[in-house]
Amino acid sequence: MTPVSALSQGSHRLAVARRVSDEWRAHGLAARPADRPAAEAVVVALYRLIDAPAPEFVWAPSPTAALSIVHDDPHTFPPVHLRGANLPRYPDGWSPAARLANRVQDVRRNLDRAVGHGVSRGSWWRPLDIPADRALVTGVPVPAIIDMVVGDALYTTLHNCVRALIRAELMPTTGGTDGMTWYGQHDAHWIGHYDVFARAGLADYRRPDAELLALLAELARSTGWWWPGEGRCVMSERPTEVHTEPLPNALNGEVRLHRDDGPAVRFADDTRIHVLHGTHVPTWVMTDPSVERIHAERNIEVRRTVIERIGWDTYIAQARLRHIAAAGDPGNPGSELHLYDVPRELWRRPARLLLVVNGSVEPDGSHRRYGLSVPAHFDDPVAAAGWTYGLSGEHYARLVRRT
Amino acid sequence: MLMPMSTSAPTTLADLTRRSGLDVLDHLEREVAIPVVDGLQAQGDLIVVPYAFVARAVTPTAGNWREVPAAGVELLRSAAGGNPHTLVADPGTCRWTRHVRDTMGLAIAMIETSAVAYLIHPEHGGTGIAPGRYVVRRQRERDTERIGRFGNLGNRMIAD
Repeated sequence: MTPVSALSQGSHRLAVARRVSDEWRAHGLAARPADRPAAEAVVVALYRLIDAPAPEFVWAPSPTAALSIVHDDPHTFPPVHLRGANLPRYPDGWSPAARLANRVQDVRRNLDRAVGHGVSRGSWWRPLDIPADRALVTGVPVPAIIDMVVGDALYTTLHNCVRALIRAELMPTTGGTDGMTWYGQHDAHWIGHYDVFARAGLADYRRPDAELLALLAELARSTGWWWPGEGRCVMSERPTEVHTEPLPNALNGEVRLHRDDGPAVRFADDTRIHVLHGTHVPTWVMTDPSVERIHAERNIEVRRTVIERIGWDTYIAQARLRHIAAAGDPGNPGSELHLYDVPRELWRRPARLLLVVNGSVEPDGSHRRYGLSVPAHFDDPVAAAGWTYGLSGEHYARLVRRT
Repeated sequence: MLMPMSTSAPTTLADLTRRSGLDVLDHLEREVAIPVVDGLQAQGDLIVVPYAFVARAVTPTAGNWREVPAAGVELLRSAAGGNPHTLVADPGTCRWTRHVRDTMGLAIAMIETSAVAYLIHPEHGGTGIAPGRYVVRRQRERDTERIGRFGNLGNRMIAD
């Protein structure tokens, strides 16, 4: 059993952690103009730390606009290769971006040592989510609870649900280089982690480490993404709109992007990112959800999202799908498999579509439906379902359970 | 077929999340016993196939069998980064390998378990796999854009 005094100290620390974490989440989701003087002052201080002269600042209304400046100036923003033979042997020869990254990496190592562990998410699975108060009384160590309540929750919200989607939209992986992107407000998840440990009295940082952390924290409070270059630093404004909804079953205030009637994220230059319940969708999903586009879409979650938006019945009617056959889904009691013929002009070749129902139930009690394209020669939905797993209809008919 | 229940209390989703540290969504019924299946079973876009079904198509290629640790192994996860399908088992009871040849090109792993192993997923919940040898395959669909080498349509894995 945990002694009462330790328990009350623990719950006090937890309260501090929650409050600080809420602040960092708000900074990460902030949709207001950057505090340019504050941000510039921090960047000048960071350049001074790596013995570089203060850069000239170029402000852009969005990361997209900023990236086009970065791309147009490969001399100022050279490709960053932090590994491999093409990196100069001594840091003096490195670009400011690489020197800065190197310095921050060193400091993070020191901070990790002071905290006693890194940002603990190295694992692929999510830690067992139990309410923090219950974890505390059952004797889970306070640092572990803070990892869950602060580090994991901020990472989920700011990194997985916000930054990753903005990056996917604005920085497609073309194989090129973008110099090195720093994320300002979207670095708040790891900065917040270290900040919370210090403010909850659980870690003491060496002065130079604390100073660098304070600089990065100030930047996360005041601006969006930025790109440090040789003598020139490109800074992006924060978004003008960010729309979210709570992540289902979130225990620690996690949210995801969502907006039904417009972009979930918008910047001053009208750069938009469309997101429906956390699924990043192309613009056509919102503006022109035509059957042709649905059928050309490779990602089944996008397909499902857009069809759910217009309704399965509407979709089937609009796509002029002809019902071929239905059969019970083996192993998925109460659910049917439906096989449809797809009009030849849609894919310009004979094709069939198999409608399947998820075995597991959604939070609202519904079961998700998916449409899978299958070879045109199938007349039997069970055989078509078997084919999707490389099995015969006879084998698939022996499916015992679907979850 | 569904396995008969053993005399000890059956495993529930709540037991499994406690034991593995993996969590599943709250709306799934946690206290219902997880069925243990020794036949064909599917979890979303993965399917667990008794080896006998596909013995002619699937062969392990090398001796790279590894024990499934207590924390489990992740078999597949979605592009969005979350929601992995994870295999968990009591230490020393289950081994697995990714080194498999499948004439269909769909197998991602082979499992050999001497006790009940579990496949767990944050959205789909958990399912029990009875002792035996299995092949884990991904789901595919017909590619609607690309023409294959011989002028026929290619196939593609389910992407999410």
